Amino acid sequence: MASADKPINTDVPEKDVFTLHFLQSLSNLRRQNTFNSPEKTNDRVKKIKKAAYVSMARAAGGTNRLWSRALLRRAAKENSKVVRFPRRKKRVTCLRRRRSNRRDPVEEEEAERLRNLVPGGGGMETSKLMEETAHYIKCLSMQVKVMQCLVDGLAPK
Amino acid sequence: MDLSGRFGARSGNGVPFREVTGLESLHLGGGDEFRQMVLPENGGGFTALLELPPTRAVELLHSSSSSSSQATLHSVGTLTFPSNPILMERAARFSVIATEQNPNGNISGETTTSSVPSNEHIKTEPAETETSDQAAVEKQNNRCGKRKDFDKKVNSSTKKKSKSSEENEKLPYVHVRARRGQATDSHSLAERARREKINARMKLLQELVPGCDKIQGTALVLDEIINHVQSLQRQVEMLSMRLASVNPRIDFNLDTILASENGSLMDGSFNGTTMQLAWPHQVMETEQSYHHRQLQQPPPQQWPFDGLNQPVWGREENQDHGNDHNSLMVGSASLHPNQVKMEL
Repeated sequence: MASADKPINTDVPEKDVFTLHFLQSLSNLRRQNTFNSPEKTNDRVKKIKKAAYVSMARAAGGTNRLWSRALLRRAAKENSKVVRFPRRKKRVTCLRRRRSNRRDPVEEEEAERLRNLVPGGGGMETSKLMEETAHYIKCLSMQVKVMQCLVDGLAPK
Repeated sequence: MDLSGRFGARSGNGVPFREVTGLESLHLGGGDEFRQMVLPENGGGFTALLELPPTRAVELLHSSSSSSSQATLHSVGTLTFPSNPILMERAARFSVIATEQNPNGNISGETTTSSVPSNEHIKTEPAETETSDQAAVEKQNNRCGKRKDFDKKVNSSTKKKSKSSEENEKLPYVHVRARRGQATDSHSLAERARREKINARMKLLQELVPGCDKIQGTALVLDEIINHVQSLQRQVEMLSMRLASVNPRIDFNLDTILASENGSLMDGSFNGTTMQLAWPHQVMETEQSYHHRQLQQPPPQQWPFDGLNQPVWGREENQDHGNDHNSLMVGSASLHPNQVKMEL
């Protein structure tokens, strides 16, 4: 049945890691020739945003976290790149949803909303979803901090 | 017999026996020692569960009234594994049980707690389950007027649960204790285990999201969490828009910098040579200006580039010396003294 619950690990690397990855992705973006054209601001915005998320995913857990994996897979699909994830001993790819008799309807509705928000949430069971959400929130806030500092540094008022 | 009569009154609907079967169904493997304790259901079932001779059980039971509740609580750990060496060893492993252990013989009054088979544990976080179980158990105790004798014992059972819940983290499978008056089929047990898991994680999320501690009720907390995630995502989008507007004026010439860093730094392990950044305080107005990471605290005598950097970084507080890429190729050791305060 349920396995013993090890202490939930939601550690997130330091700011430096995030910064490094983000700047790396930004510099990659810079290399693209069409990047500086002022007309296509929206495209640029989207690219930066995507770069932010992808770099966050890479920085924050690589392939150890479900949501980062889903994010990277999603991004790679858009680029039509083949993404390979290292196989681990456990078969993580088989995500079974456990059938239990009672599902709290209110909670499940919220869980559904969460699933739409958190990348990769579609196949997760509720408890796993919450763990991923916690880690995701931590990483998101870290990424926001990094970006804020970048923006402040580059364009202070 | 008096003993069996009391047990009979307590287990009106044969609950303990069902609990026995419920527990058996939960054991998926390696439960040999448990089966030894559980299976012999002859005659006065509870004592048989204990594998204690009935006389000894009676004597212990009657001595329960004299012993203090504290003692019963403390000796709870020993009750669970009275005659099984394997389990005794397990119990001895835990300092909590070991330190509080009365000599083995004093299994006073805990016989009734083994109405539920003695090797049930609660899987999840001890604090939560302990308090919740105690509350639930005590509620049930208060309800049953004629079962006052069992209050102490059921309390001790919760204590045992808390101790054995520590044990659970080392066991590969879950032992869930069925509470009094609750259904004990495997489905509801698993359901309960699942709910406790979810509640634990909900607590974790509550600590993470500011302002969630005050809210009562899962639905509102989840609402708050969802709002928080949405706001964070919107913030990222906003900041990326701002970055996009700022970006064309800055030329990130980070390639070489990053190349040199990556040679010396492991992924994600920034402890030794912490890359710290200092950002210019003013906007770079010229397209020619390079925005480098500052790798070095300006030890003024070491850098011959001050003059070079003046026109570029004129308004900077921290001198930027990163223009020379050769200097960046120095090995990892040199990165260590080259740390600038990151103004984050």
